[in-house]
Amino acid sequence: MKTSELIEQNNQRRELLTEENEKYYTNLLMYIRTKLTLSEQQSEEVLLEMLEHLIEGQREGKTAQEIFGNDPKGYADEIVNDLPLENKRNSFLFISEIALNIIGWFLIMRSVIIPIIGGDTSEIVFIISSLLLLILIAAMTAFGVKMIFGLISQSSFDANATDKKMMLKAGLYGAGGFLIIIVISYFTKEIGPSFTLPWEVSLGLGSMLLLISWLIKKSRA
Amino acid sequence: MSIRSQLLKGILDGCVLAVIEKEAVYGYELSKKLQKVGLEDVSEGTIYPVLLRLQKNKLIIGEMKPSESGPNRKYYSLTAAGKEALEIISFEWNQLSIPINALLSKGDETHENK
Repeated sequence: MKTSELIEQNNQRRELLTEENEKYYTNLLMYIRTKLTLSEQQSEEVLLEMLEHLIEGQREGKTAQEIFGNDPKGYADEIVNDLPLENKRNSFLFISEIALNIIGWFLIMRSVIIPIIGGDTSEIVFIISSLLLLILIAAMTAFGVKMIFGLISQSSFDANATDKKMMLKAGLYGAGGFLIIIVISYFTKEIGPSFTLPWEVSLGLGSMLLLISWLIKKSRA
Repeated sequence: MSIRSQLLKGILDGCVLAVIEKEAVYGYELSKKLQKVGLEDVSEGTIYPVLLRLQKNKLIIGEMKPSESGPNRKYYSLTAAGKEALEIISFEWNQLSIPINALLSKGDETHENK
């Protein structure tokens, strides 16, 4: 079974849980799913097994606590420890998919903005400046994903954590990251050799990258 | 953790392998079978970390199969390495259990000597 089918089935079957069991199980699920370095397929398989177990136990009147114990975080950590890591090929495909997606949208936005602002100067691309900007965006995205997933994972078993607090932290990070990107790109605007990239070419290239990214996503799922 | 569950933790891998050797089972079935033979202290959820570890060490393989009653189930069976490991664990357990039984059931022994 494909990973996407497992997830789909999990979503459907989860509706059979009682409110209390659903809460317990969802915490486990969030905690395990946000560990990005683990094999997605294996994670989803064990999550579905545990869900089916819980559904059957529920029929006999058992609670999630009776089945998985009173220490959900400790239990989730055991599962996480014993899950295999994602293989290199899948990790590479996943990262490429995201990178192509970001660069694709970047080029398309550029092709929308240039005709609006007008002028020949805005079609000039400085190689070093552009590379710097790309690296910066990639680093910010990677760090941001890591941080936000870390936040979700941390708050999984924390009764005091609220969505509002988490949204605030994530929002602050997003705004801060964006500001850093703008400031740095302002000071590194015109470095290195340059060439002209017309907005039509930018649009075509961007669309192509989005298409490739989408194809990777299809093949992965 | 009670002494019993600590002792059990060490040998649980062997118990799980022994159940799977008889026939391919899925998680819920496995926990029922362990309880049926009298291992009621095993909280049902403990089998999942064990199953993951055994899969990681290639002692068992799991295969998702659709079932007639609806949900897909992952059935586990032993690999060649798993059979070997089970033999070693059984052997080691016998090596230990005979002298330990003799030592710890002293009460019975004095009774017999009377």
